Amino acid sequence: MTTLWDTTGSAVVKALAAERRAAGALAFGLALTLVVVVDEKNVAAAESAATGAAAAHPCRLLIVVRRQIDAPHPRLDAEVSIGGRLGPGEAIVMRMYGRLALHAESVVLPLLASDAPVVTWWHDEPPTRIAFDPLGVFADRRVTDVSRAADPLGALALRAADFAPGDTDLAWTRISGWRTLLAAAFDGRADQPHQAQIDADPADPSAQLFAGWLRARLGVPVEVTGGGRRGIQAVRVAVDDGEVAVTRADIRSGTITRPGVPPRRLPLRQLDLGDLMAEELRRIDDDAVYADALAAWSGVPDLAGRSGHREHIWRDPMEQAAAPVAEPAGGAS
Amino acid sequence: MAPTAGGNPLRDPRDRRLPRLPDASALVVFGVTGDLSRKKLIPAVYDLANRGLLPPGFVLLGFARRDWRDDEPFIEFARECAEKGARTPFREETWDRLASSIKFVPGSFDDDAAFDRLAQTLTGLEASHGIRGNAAFYLSIPPSAFPVVLKQMERTGLADEQAAGGWRRVVVEKPFGHDQESARELNSLVDEVFGPADVFRIDHYLGKETVQNLFALRFANTLFEPIWNSQFVDSVQITMAEDVGIGTRAGFYDETGAARDVLQNHLLQLLALTAMEEPVSFGAATIRTEKIKILRAVSLPTDLDRYAIRGQYEQGWLAGDRVTGYLGEENIPPSSTTETYAAVRLGIETRRWAGVPFYLRTGKRLPRRVTEIAISFKQAPHLPFDATDTTDLGHNQLVVRVQPDEGVTLKFGSKVPGTAMEVRDVAMEFLFGEAFTESLPEAYERLILDVLLGDAMLFPDNAEVEESWRIIDPLEEFWAGRKPYPYRAGSWGPPAADEMLARDGRRWRRP
Repeated sequence: MTTLWDTTGSAVVKALAAERRAAGALAFGLALTLVVVVDEKNVAAAESAATGAAAAHPCRLLIVVRRQIDAPHPRLDAEVSIGGRLGPGEAIVMRMYGRLALHAESVVLPLLASDAPVVTWWHDEPPTRIAFDPLGVFADRRVTDVSRAADPLGALALRAADFAPGDTDLAWTRISGWRTLLAAAFDGRADQPHQAQIDADPADPSAQLFAGWLRARLGVPVEVTGGGRRGIQAVRVAVDDGEVAVTRADIRSGTITRPGVPPRRLPLRQLDLGDLMAEELRRIDDDAVYADALAAWSGVPDLAGRSGHREHIWRDPMEQAAAPVAEPAGGAS
Repeated sequence: MAPTAGGNPLRDPRDRRLPRLPDASALVVFGVTGDLSRKKLIPAVYDLANRGLLPPGFVLLGFARRDWRDDEPFIEFARECAEKGARTPFREETWDRLASSIKFVPGSFDDDAAFDRLAQTLTGLEASHGIRGNAAFYLSIPPSAFPVVLKQMERTGLADEQAAGGWRRVVVEKPFGHDQESARELNSLVDEVFGPADVFRIDHYLGKETVQNLFALRFANTLFEPIWNSQFVDSVQITMAEDVGIGTRAGFYDETGAARDVLQNHLLQLLALTAMEEPVSFGAATIRTEKIKILRAVSLPTDLDRYAIRGQYEQGWLAGDRVTGYLGEENIPPSSTTETYAAVRLGIETRRWAGVPFYLRTGKRLPRRVTEIAISFKQAPHLPFDATDTTDLGHNQLVVRVQPDEGVTLKFGSKVPGTAMEVRDVAMEFLFGEAFTESLPEAYERLILDVLLGDAMLFPDNAEVEESWRIIDPLEEFWAGRKPYPYRAGSWGPPAADEMLARDGRRWRRP
């Protein structure tokens, strides 16, 4: 491991090359670069999740921490390691101070693995518009987590307004297990669903995306009601001869109930952040099913048909601090 | 409306976050207390359950001759197997969930009452577990027991899809016969009871991730296919080496030998996958069409004496241990002429492969366990260097490592750094597990899942099996009555095998 204080981007590139030589293997099977954008106070959590995901998909891990944008002098500290505490792959943690934080791409671009896809993940509150963050503009896949925002549903609405193919949100990843079980419950059935109900806090963005998905797929009204306990507790779909339901049984499993068949218990794990990111890294192409679900929930039409291209929009948070935050424009270019 | 799959409105072919689950079904295992079932099948079923890849209505139904009155002792037995053999971590909750879907029917194969009970149990499972009449029967039993079991299934209507109201499939393990004649008999026997499309012959090598990667390597890239022919390829070596001896399979092995045990199925399948033309689509029927074309085109050397070598290991040292010779193994007659090593040169009589020798070898008690396909390319027709500059330059090679360390190696010449011009071989390695380290599923997991999904792509069919025997039978005939060459345990086979390649101006690659 090499730690560099008050350094430059080129020094980081050199340190990485030196570490690679020292590790003895110049031909790493790198499949992608994962850029993690995180606040200082959450670095440990993001690091451990990214390390978990990197164990499943060896990647170059670039963790970008932007600090004290108002610091008078720009400064870069970096920690370069291969096969160290940040998992088996190559990892660089960079702390950027002052105006450098607004130009993080100048340090990150030369560090991207050559010609491999880039995934950018905002660990904390997502940017209001991804085009404001240059680290999102060059990424092939962008992963946000609206549940980290103060107002998750508001943040999810922003994601719909700002959507471009290649975006996904961890609120969507969190319901893959639920969707798997519900789809399994409908395998081999030919009946027409009438309406659906999700037992969850209506302010839960995952539950809302789940509802959006059901509306998009089944074309029936879906209600999110209940609350109290955290997370989704059950989903029920009314069909001709009764109800098809998936209910959470315990933290690892759920129960499938269908008319005329005894209930079955199947795995329904609550994934930790590392598992969620591992699922995100599995596919680098865009997720059209997510786009449909988000469109059905938000009412913004045809999200999947948008262009996946974004142009960086310069925005200086120092000036924004004085002026009110601009509303995002209706659609991506 | 967005596209749907299989009539389920919640399934979208674009939705790749949702795993494809099989229909509600039962997996019935005959000989469930046997070696294979203990070490592979039951752990694979547990792993599938743990990964959430089993359908909501799933039952594992065991059938064996054991004095177990109810399901409990079998569940206990299965739990031990899963704990020992599973790849994924053993979890109490997963197990409890699976245990409620494990049933057992005791009985022997000639016991009519037992099969009636089995049929009743299966019918009962429709109500209690919602299996909708779907069942796959795994015959984990010696081939000699096939006729009686199949007859029982026919008698009790177990194989009758119409009566059951769902699909009925049967899974057969190798050996698929011991020559072409017996394979044909076996095939017609199984096909009579089940339809040919419902018979799944397991060759677990085809379930390995790298073998499927061979498709991706060849047909998803432009880089390799143009040079995948006799104009550029010098020769192909397919090796399956094992460091273990015959273990506890003495009786079976002494009757079978390396050629029937490995060459006839695994190696010829790998050869077919390496040499086949591009299938018109990625489906079971189209891939089989191409594989059978290659197997039909395989030719044997005319000089079997020199190009079909078999060996038998003698005592020696392997990995720091002294090991006994084959004739010294327990239950092996001291006069046995069964081979534990076989190497053969095959040709493929097609425009693409004419003149390219395919060297196949397999053996037990070789220095390490490795399976690989090595494609050796021709040397450049002209080298614009001084002869001394390229003395260390060999053939370019593309090696597909099937196990262990699944991956691909590309060997090519590179300049040695320095002021002198010197070209030497270097290797570029791609480790499958490094770029994509999702814990690779065990071959049996994949294959059991495919059986339940009805996906026959990775299973050889009748014609392939019979065609493979057409290739092996003359070899066995030639070898009958001859003594195999001895080789020291822990060495790479008998010297005669090395001479076979030396005669052609080549040498075996050390894997």
